Amino acid sequence: MSWQPEIEEIHRRRKLAEACGGADAVAKHHASGKLTVRERIAAILDPGSFREVGKLAGRASYDPAGRLTAFEPAPYVMGLGKIDGRPVAIGGEDYTIRAGTGFGSDRRKGGQGGFVEDLAHEYRIPLVNLIDGTGGSVANARRKGYTVVPGYGQDGFERSVDLMGIVPVVSAVMGTTAGGPSARAILAHWSVMVRGQAQIFAAGPPVVERAFGTKLTKEALGGEKVAVDAAGTIDNVAEDEADCLRQVKRFLSYLPSNVWELAPRAQRGDPVDRCEDGLASIVPRAGREAYNMKKLVEMVVDEGSMFEIQPTFGRAVVTALVRMDGYVVGIVANNPMFGGIVDVKAARKQGHFVELCDMFNIPIIFFADVPGLMVGVQSEAEAIVREGVRARYIGLQVSVPVFTVIVRKCYGVAGGSVIDRRGLNFKIAWPSAEWGSLPVEGGVKAAYRREIEGAPDPHAREREIEDELKQLASPLRTAEAFAIEDMIDPRETRPYLCQFIEALQPRLKSQLGPKLKAGVRP
Amino acid sequence: MARIDVKSEITGTVWKVTAKPGDKVESGDTLLVIESMKMEIPVITEDGGTVKEILVKEKDPVAEGQVVAVLEE
Repeated sequence: MSWQPEIEEIHRRRKLAEACGGADAVAKHHASGKLTVRERIAAILDPGSFREVGKLAGRASYDPAGRLTAFEPAPYVMGLGKIDGRPVAIGGEDYTIRAGTGFGSDRRKGGQGGFVEDLAHEYRIPLVNLIDGTGGSVANARRKGYTVVPGYGQDGFERSVDLMGIVPVVSAVMGTTAGGPSARAILAHWSVMVRGQAQIFAAGPPVVERAFGTKLTKEALGGEKVAVDAAGTIDNVAEDEADCLRQVKRFLSYLPSNVWELAPRAQRGDPVDRCEDGLASIVPRAGREAYNMKKLVEMVVDEGSMFEIQPTFGRAVVTALVRMDGYVVGIVANNPMFGGIVDVKAARKQGHFVELCDMFNIPIIFFADVPGLMVGVQSEAEAIVREGVRARYIGLQVSVPVFTVIVRKCYGVAGGSVIDRRGLNFKIAWPSAEWGSLPVEGGVKAAYRREIEGAPDPHAREREIEDELKQLASPLRTAEAFAIEDMIDPRETRPYLCQFIEALQPRLKSQLGPKLKAGVRP
Repeated sequence: MARIDVKSEITGTVWKVTAKPGDKVESGDTLLVIESMKMEIPVITEDGGTVKEILVKEKDPVAEGQVVAVLEE
């Protein structure tokens, strides 16, 4: 006697789960331009690699004889799969089933803690959250018969927080997201949302209208213009679902599977000794003029390897994952198109990115051209000193090797935040480099006020002092004193750095594992 | 015709106005240059169109997020 009837029942129920919220709900979902969570998972994973877990979970109805009459699958789909041959834990809400809200299971499948997060935690593999849910509802109280304290039951955000220190966590926001799911989206090392299709907020337009009487569209409240460009709540924008999933794969390609491993080295292709002539002339001789820092970085790193993190937020600094001779490196570059001036957004962005690199043992290269922290009442009211120092504090806690290429300006507190004084303190300067506590032009009047005011021609005296100090400011003089480790022909930047990046790999291997950081960040 | 507001991304003063009403501009073109902390920061349009109005003149102070020019698509 075999178990054939029971086996058939398992297969039948799996089929029922694959129907998601039913043909009508799926058609409506598709009509709004969205893929179902099952289609998304199939699209992102290596073909045939999805091993779903908990497919039989859901709400079943039975007739008096105990036969199944109806089945509503759990509104969360998850399991194990592979991306580029590496295992990942992956899950997402099924929006076609009651907008992806909870279903009162014994154990959560995912979304906030749950099996998929435990899987990532126990197996030390990356977690991919495909977020498309609207969170809790007051209707829960009617179902349960009582109200709950936030983070109730066995799965709050405890596991989600644990994951942040051990495996890469990625959030792709693919629909309108509020409350718990929006909080879950933030507990990630990197996040992306789909332009025009995804919105994220603490609470949606009806709640805002009730609170303030203002009517807003969900796009105006939590579309990418607010959530990505203005707030930096979500890191990157995708043009559509396919682009979103592509970007998730790309981000993960730069990261190790966990903090006990190093990021995989890519196939080498771009010659290490490629020296771009454009680097010799990209920086204008006039120190005030802007130039394209992204183009500069692209000339140095492996061709086509630059993946910008937060490209539209805090744009005074560029943060990107790149490869150098196949090895993953984090780039932090001041952006002269915004004066390179570090405002609170740029400071926050820099600190977060440096911490991300450090957590996953990715060495960092700073391309410095920073005149300082943003001055003025508005900037002070936004706590620029605190934010600027926080970025520096984070920089001083890193354990990965750091290089600084001083391209042009390197001044003040912000300038100090791009230098690795804790480690090898390795700075290489281009001929266009200049540095100091503050730029000569701004500082002379303050430092020599009495002398200038006492002179027969104060204006001329100020100029004289300026000229004298500018002569002393030649980077060659600092190089003579070995107060800068090297000055290089800008064209040599790539071969120079690639050789050191290769040499530091044993160092990275020596420090694998979670990083516990002491202290209170300012 | 759609109206496009071009904003300054930084606080500073207007250093140079490089575009004038009637100019046809493309994405990536500089409309004016802001001076902030002795650096020249171009105000670049992300959209193409025709310049309808430049709302500031040289030496005017501008705040981050202030609309400094208007284009028509």
